[in-house]
Amino acid sequence: MLENYLPILIFLLVGAGLGGVLLLLGFLLGRGGKDAQKLSPYECGFEAFEDSRMKFDVRYYLVAILFIIFDLEIAFLFPWAVALDGLGMFGFLTMAVFLLLLVVGFIYEWKKGALEWD
Amino acid sequence: MEILFYVFATVLVGAAIGVITARNPVHSVLYLVLAFFNSAVLWLLLEAEFLAIVLVLVYVGAVMVLFLFVVMMLDVNVESVKSGFTRYAPVGVLVMVIIAVELAQVIWVRHMGLRGVGELTPMPADYNNTRELGLLLYTEYFYAFELAAVILLVAIVAAISLTMRRRPGLKAQDIARQVGVRREDRVKLVKMDAEERQ
Amino acid sequence: MIGLSHYLTLSAILFLLGVTGIFINRRNVILLLMCIELMLLAVNFNFVAFSRFLNNLDGQIFVFFILTVAAAEAAIGLAILVVLFRSKNSINVDELDSMKG
Repeated sequence: MLENYLPILIFLLVGAGLGGVLLLLGFLLGRGGKDAQKLSPYECGFEAFEDSRMKFDVRYYLVAILFIIFDLEIAFLFPWAVALDGLGMFGFLTMAVFLLLLVVGFIYEWKKGALEWD
Repeated sequence: MEILFYVFATVLVGAAIGVITARNPVHSVLYLVLAFFNSAVLWLLLEAEFLAIVLVLVYVGAVMVLFLFVVMMLDVNVESVKSGFTRYAPVGVLVMVIIAVELAQVIWVRHMGLRGVGELTPMPADYNNTRELGLLLYTEYFYAFELAAVILLVAIVAAISLTMRRRPGLKAQDIARQVGVRREDRVKLVKMDAEERQ
Repeated sequence: MIGLSHYLTLSAILFLLGVTGIFINRRNVILLLMCIELMLLAVNFNFVAFSRFLNNLDGQIFVFFILTVAAAEAAIGLAILVVLFRSKNSINVDELDSMKG
């Protein structure tokens, strides 16, 4: 089975190799030392006013959580779709109940307004 | 095969060390992403291909993004949090040594009666791990599967009730109402007699 | 040849690193949660390795459910953390001592 994954291994090797070579080339061929002026952030001639890492809004967080839940639901759908011909009616109904439960959650979050941005 | 295991295992252990020693929480999260990626490759070497993909899809793609969100959102001062770095280190080292001795005892000394388990036979090229899992998951384990749905439902409800808050007094534009407006709602024609000049 | 004990050793090392992380990062709740994720990963490693070496897929099903529950747990745990930070403006473990008992 693993021979099917040889292209991915080659891809990993090429990616890591290319990244390493480019870093090495930049390190070897780059000119000039790094002094304090060169490394300082440039903001229209001023000193930087504040930290460049700004806080995220909480609303992104709710979207991310809901994404996790439905991501997992999709992950449960994959083996079902692949094995459906061997599962019969029972497997079909199992997934129907699963989806029904999650649709209840989906209706809840819709009615609560969790999908509204403002 | 063996060299692949050792390479990825080394990177995995290095990433795990990075997780617990990085000074910046953002770096810790990124090291944890690296650790999950390497674990996925190692699970692939064990021919658990579906779980390897799920680990990347769910953990790297969703859970670690959530961690990254929270780290960025809370924006905790790095230095103040890390100042107690060495205070509990002796206890930590003690506990670690105890657990290490116990685990070494279990794995190497007792071998858990697994001496006969040594050899792996590679699966044929058309072996379908996902299908085998599916045939088991939706029939034999259907009860646990429905329970997973209930857990996900609880997670939805908990997340919404914990983090969602309404902001009163927000002036938002409702485009559907704007488009659906009729002439009668806006203009009122009044018929009245002409007034006398004052 | 890579045997079962190689994978068990690797998972034991991961688990130990997770435990150590909990002790040396005792202040930051997010890092504690991440160390727990690391320990869960080590446990999942054991399940997958045993499942493969014993030719029994039940272990992989178990790992799938662990991943599901762990993702839900991480989501709710982080939600509680966000609410906590909003009310106390800190996630330092030492400052979460207002409960009497």
